[in-house]
Amino acid sequence: MKIKNKVYITATTSSSCAGENNQILFENVLSCSTGIVQDSNYFFNAKPAIGKLSSSNTFYDELILQCKKVLKNSYLENYKDTLLLIGSSVGGMNVTEDIYMCTEDYADIDPNKHHIQAISNTLTAEFDFYDTLSFSTACTSSANAMGYAYEVLSKGLYKNVLVVGADSLSRTTVGGFLTLGVLSSEPCKPFDESRNGMNVSEAVACLLIETDMREGSVELCGVGYSSDAYHMTHPHPDGQGAKEAMSKALDEAKLKPHDIDYINAHGTGTQANDSAEGNAIETLFSEKPKPYISSTKSITGHTLGAAGALEAIISCMVIKEQTIPSNTFLKKAENRKINLSLENHSQELKYVMSNSFAFGGNNCSLIFGKVDHVS
Amino acid sequence: MSHSIHLEIIESAYVYAPCEIEELNIKTLVPKMMTRRRLTRAAKIAIYLSDKVMFKKGRIVYGSSFGELPATSQILHAISKQETISPTHFQNSVYNTAVSYLSMLHGNQEEIMTVSSGDNTALNVLKLGAVKALEGDTILLMAIETLNIENIEKVNKCASYLECGVALKVRLVNKQASMELSTLKSENKIPISISQMFAIAKNCHPEKTNIIEIKL
Repeated sequence: MKIKNKVYITATTSSSCAGENNQILFENVLSCSTGIVQDSNYFFNAKPAIGKLSSSNTFYDELILQCKKVLKNSYLENYKDTLLLIGSSVGGMNVTEDIYMCTEDYADIDPNKHHIQAISNTLTAEFDFYDTLSFSTACTSSANAMGYAYEVLSKGLYKNVLVVGADSLSRTTVGGFLTLGVLSSEPCKPFDESRNGMNVSEAVACLLIETDMREGSVELCGVGYSSDAYHMTHPHPDGQGAKEAMSKALDEAKLKPHDIDYINAHGTGTQANDSAEGNAIETLFSEKPKPYISSTKSITGHTLGAAGALEAIISCMVIKEQTIPSNTFLKKAENRKINLSLENHSQELKYVMSNSFAFGGNNCSLIFGKVDHVS
Repeated sequence: MSHSIHLEIIESAYVYAPCEIEELNIKTLVPKMMTRRRLTRAAKIAIYLSDKVMFKKGRIVYGSSFGELPATSQILHAISKQETISPTHFQNSVYNTAVSYLSMLHGNQEEIMTVSSGDNTALNVLKLGAVKALEGDTILLMAIETLNIENIEKVNKCASYLECGVALKVRLVNKQASMELSTLKSENKIPISISQMFAIAKNCHPEKTNIIEIKL
């Protein structure tokens, strides 16, 4: 099938610990104002640093609100012709936990509010969609949803797509990452020699994606996928899978490494991820000019299945504002051969790459491009 | 503007049991004991099915409505008892666990997607797989549910078979469909989430070319 439409991100909204909208989110990213705080409510006596929604709304109210806002910001009257793509790693797990903590009995658990489809069920109760599909590949869930949106729209298979990355904090994820020994008790320091782990966070991030260019659109230029086939929780130390995903995204977008101005790295702040991702970037982007690299997870935390969508929005903001953010808490880089951004850079930039990697060695890289003219 | 894509079912396999499937032949398929002991039930079923349809490397689309329920239930139990979560249970609780182990076993570094769409999980595996198949390669579609946990009867009101899996090895064709998805009879004791793919696998004729039309 050779149809190759151009694909544009035409409206976006988000809610995270770093702000209730994109503008606040990006201001906080640029001003190094983190939304990460220590919290003892999620796993008994432990006090990891995590990121809760800054909004006082419940997670599900925020989910509906953000989808209403993206519709309002769009040229659509409704979502009747829209394919809804969800990316989530835990779905309704926190709802199940709340019930089970009280009753220790499955009888009161509603399966339809437990699984990944719980996110989609909430939205289809509020809006009419053409169809829905939910991805759950751990921390690449919404990045893979973005990639699929690119594929179906470039092939002319749907009219428009709403990607929703949504993951709420849960005892399972906070306790699970604690037991793996990778949670930090302070905001994370990706790529720093002294980094000591990640911050679990929650977020809702929505992107309307179309084949029609609109005022303020950002082009979604390509996607690359790969699998490490190496380990359930550890990436290949050389970053082979990460490099493969980035290479494929470049090929799909018909770009060379030197075309990329900035990489919004997966950069979780764990020893294993940052080392492997740094090695992959070092190998692939070895020739000058090298792109700036930063992770924005010091500000937003790691929003798990929502991270791909949230960081796609940050990538769009980088292109719109023509400003590359710094690595907030980076003092001494472990890998000196990659071009880690130490301060914000206002400059002309055209292409941004965003990386997402997950348990099971699931990798996805996305490339975004500046749109010069609205025809 | 509904599009339809025709897929040839090159190979198919399915397996199911009221509680635990016994015929998975895992000792032979996974000789390394250290690897074998970490596998979830869904991973073992995935390995068994991929062997049956002779698929080792290539793109995979996997689906499960409830994911790794045994690991999830162990985590819930630990949380309620204020105990530490087992690292193995946590790493094995993500929805893409089964196909991740499968990729490690065969060194498969291709794209692997996992979808979870409630009762429409298998239908969405078919739709996603059909879109991916437009690139022209052979793709493995697989759907698995492992619901065999203690007290599952308190929430499970439908499925009689608690462990079920189905695999379809498919490729794009430009020929008339031999099966109509809406008219295929499904096994009503199989979890609804994977029933459409079961229906296809059960209706595949071993001596004919089996082609299904997938409407997007």
